[in-house]
Amino acid sequence: MNRDPAKVRNIGISAHIDAGKTTLTERILFYTQRIHAIHDVKGKDGVGATMDFMELEKERGITITSAATYCEWKGYEINIIDTPGHVDFTIEVERALRVLDGGVLVLCSVGGVQSQSITVDRQMSRYKVPCIAFINKCDRGGANPFRVIEQLREKLDHNAIAMQIPIGLESDFQGVVDLVSMKALYFDGPSGEQIRMEEIPQGLRTEAEAHRESLVDAASMFSDELMEAALDEKVTADILIDAIRNGTLVRGLTPVFIGSAYKNKGVQPLLDAVTHYLPQPMDIENFALDMDNEEVEKKLETDFSKPLVALAFKLEEGRYGQLTYIRVYQGTLSKGDTIVNSRTGQKVRIGRVVHMHADQMEEIGSIPAGYIGALFGVDCASGDTFTSPEIKYSMTSMHIPEPVISLAIVPMDNKAQVKISKALSRFTKEDPTFRAYVNHETGDTIISGMGELHLEIYVERMRREYDADVTTGMPQVAYRETITRQAEFNYTHKKQTGGAGQFGRVAGYLEPVKDEFVFENRIVGGAIPAEFISSCEKGFKKSMEKGQLLGFPITGVKIVINDGQSHPVDSSDMAFQAASRRAFWEGYRKAKPVILEPIMKVEVETPTEFQGAVMGSLNQRRGMILGTQDEGNISVIEAEVPLAEMFGYSTTLRSGTQGKAQFTMEFSTYRRVPKSVADELIKKAAEEKKKAT
Amino acid sequence: MSENNLILKNPLKFVKEDAGHLLGDGQFGAILARAGEGKTSFLMHLALDNLLRGKNVLHICLGQPIKKVCLWYEEVLLRISDQYELNNTNVMWEMILPHRFIMTFNIDDFSEKRLEERLNDLTEQGIFFPQVVLLDGLPFDKTDQTSLSKLKALAKEHGFPAWFTVMTHRENNIEQPDDIPSTISHMSDFFEVIVQLKPTGREINVQLVKGQKADRVL
Repeated sequence: MNRDPAKVRNIGISAHIDAGKTTLTERILFYTQRIHAIHDVKGKDGVGATMDFMELEKERGITITSAATYCEWKGYEINIIDTPGHVDFTIEVERALRVLDGGVLVLCSVGGVQSQSITVDRQMSRYKVPCIAFINKCDRGGANPFRVIEQLREKLDHNAIAMQIPIGLESDFQGVVDLVSMKALYFDGPSGEQIRMEEIPQGLRTEAEAHRESLVDAASMFSDELMEAALDEKVTADILIDAIRNGTLVRGLTPVFIGSAYKNKGVQPLLDAVTHYLPQPMDIENFALDMDNEEVEKKLETDFSKPLVALAFKLEEGRYGQLTYIRVYQGTLSKGDTIVNSRTGQKVRIGRVVHMHADQMEEIGSIPAGYIGALFGVDCASGDTFTSPEIKYSMTSMHIPEPVISLAIVPMDNKAQVKISKALSRFTKEDPTFRAYVNHETGDTIISGMGELHLEIYVERMRREYDADVTTGMPQVAYRETITRQAEFNYTHKKQTGGAGQFGRVAGYLEPVKDEFVFENRIVGGAIPAEFISSCEKGFKKSMEKGQLLGFPITGVKIVINDGQSHPVDSSDMAFQAASRRAFWEGYRKAKPVILEPIMKVEVETPTEFQGAVMGSLNQRRGMILGTQDEGNISVIEAEVPLAEMFGYSTTLRSGTQGKAQFTMEFSTYRRVPKSVADELIKKAAEEKKKAT
Repeated sequence: MSENNLILKNPLKFVKEDAGHLLGDGQFGAILARAGEGKTSFLMHLALDNLLRGKNVLHICLGQPIKKVCLWYEEVLLRISDQYELNNTNVMWEMILPHRFIMTFNIDDFSEKRLEERLNDLTEQGIFFPQVVLLDGLPFDKTDQTSLSKLKALAKEHGFPAWFTVMTHRENNIEQPDDIPSTISHMSDFFEVIVQLKPTGREINVQLVKGQKADRVL
């Protein structure tokens, strides 16, 4: 194994869905001889692309989990994490970016900068990941790489600079002109594996020179040497490459490459660019918190001999047990080593250490600093830090977004129930944005995640990987009932037909209160004997469990009892409980009960041009817009919307904003349901009750 | 205490009995003070006063996130409710919330054109029709007369009065009650009412610099 960190590149490939990153990765693996044949996403040969190893990914043509792989290119080792493009799988992208040193932003030459590109870019900038861009699909009708470069500048605020210009476009796309070597590159052979270098076609020479001049101008801002060389007109390829690299590393420059992965054009120069411009592990400053020293930040060094610091960034339940993807930042992680999980303090002995290549693996003895690998049989959570026993460091935790959508799942039979719990336990461990719990009020198993597709995929995986037969429904909104005014009650419970009799009278009033339930005893003179007061409280409390309007729990009621009556023989705990229950219902009906619904605080982030449309969509859902925050090209809209109206919103939002907006929501409060909606709910509940009987 | 009683506690009452009608549609009012001397909380009181009267208040804030503006409201309402021992703050809050709309902008991105676009988004879809606008944080040293006259036209078109906060500096101290600080003296024609806040010990002196004459202490 290569042990020179200067020759290592840990990169992520991220982009909007369908921009072609899986296809691009497939070509990279082919040209680096990791695979010996190219299989296309949704390909006719039925094999599917190598990185899309899950059945479902092959079928849907999208990457769901980010598979890690590595390859070698001209003496450099490139570790690649292929990340999903769909916004619902953002956590995968975030995790990948956390451990990577550089990124390749893939853009479609027709679609340009799309919503996910904006999201991914924001994530890249959060983790300060230097990147280069690849404008794919230049063979497509409507391809316009220069428009995309313009969008990179305007929409993403990148100092994007063309490194190549196309030779022909759309169906006439033949190759590229490299602006560093000032040569035309053509990709021959059945899979574009032979690169033919020629002089720039006459018709493109002027354009190429103009673009080269812009490139030199932009790069010279990052190198005095280049600036001097440019003045003397003695710019060499090496000087230019160094300057571009300087600019890229500080995110001051984004070199842009073009091609068509599907047509096998432009991939090899992109690989060269990865080695030339993206950082090696030592270029990136990584820090950990020293837990033994008041969490002081410690700079980590890409030094094999130092104590180990490594981060588990992804867990996967494979056919050989739990697989933990790990990035080593300092020291070396070797087979047989004893390391410590700094979160739990648990000591772990390392068994097998492997290199992952999609779903195939290669046994290796160790993972040195700067490298990514995987471990077997290590029990940990994703985001855990592992260190040598002599130090106690913790890497800063990763940003994990809160789930925004929930769905009820129902197993078809007992067998399925067991399988579902197994599946849920695995999925929730693997993916922190996926949560599962049982709603005790409805008895439903609720799963929540980052979007409808996110949940849909997990349900599908339960069916396929666990053979669990499940149906899904709309999740039940947890409504509440409450009262709006004071009302009196005076109920006598009398049952004296055969056997021991029952007698109890309870009188008083109920009124709205802030707390969930308040019980006050104002009985004087022993109208209700002291030993039955707690029976009364129990009876009232029991009544709060199920309201009369919808059958959901009642909240915010204060009960005051001030009178009553007992019988020396027939009064009992049961009699006073029953009397209190009836008394409650008597008062409840008079206290004008209403239905409360959960209100969610919704935050939508959208390009400004869609602000009106987004506000309209929230308004239609009974949302109350609290405010809008204009941040240049992006607007944030904050609103309070009833949970019941939020189902299907991600789809509405996506279609209403060309997929460019995203939203998060969290529980805010319970609020009274408007009368028209309440009437509808009561009618529906009555119908369901009728059906059930 | 009911919301009607609370309206009577509005600080502007000290300036004019019927404080809610100090400005007519399309008219501008300015609240002047040095940094940290109560412009924003004064604005909050104005907002709450109008909200309690059932008026739709559009609160525009430059350079602050929505969350911070919301916090201001919560804080001011909480203090009022503590001071006057209100026990129905929650009900009051739910009552006023639908009448409030907060818009925030980066200072550099704010323009009357942008505001007009945002206003149209709200009114054309029937989401919100402002009856009073509060603009907090407009940098008057960088605002020209053209911008202000465009804002005035917008206020007239939509039929709302607008209150602005204006930050003054030490050298702008008013010696004579009629003197208008230099920060806005060149634009004073745009404002029908100008109020200056000046701390005196633990009290804030509310001085009417332009409009109906008064000088009261809160």
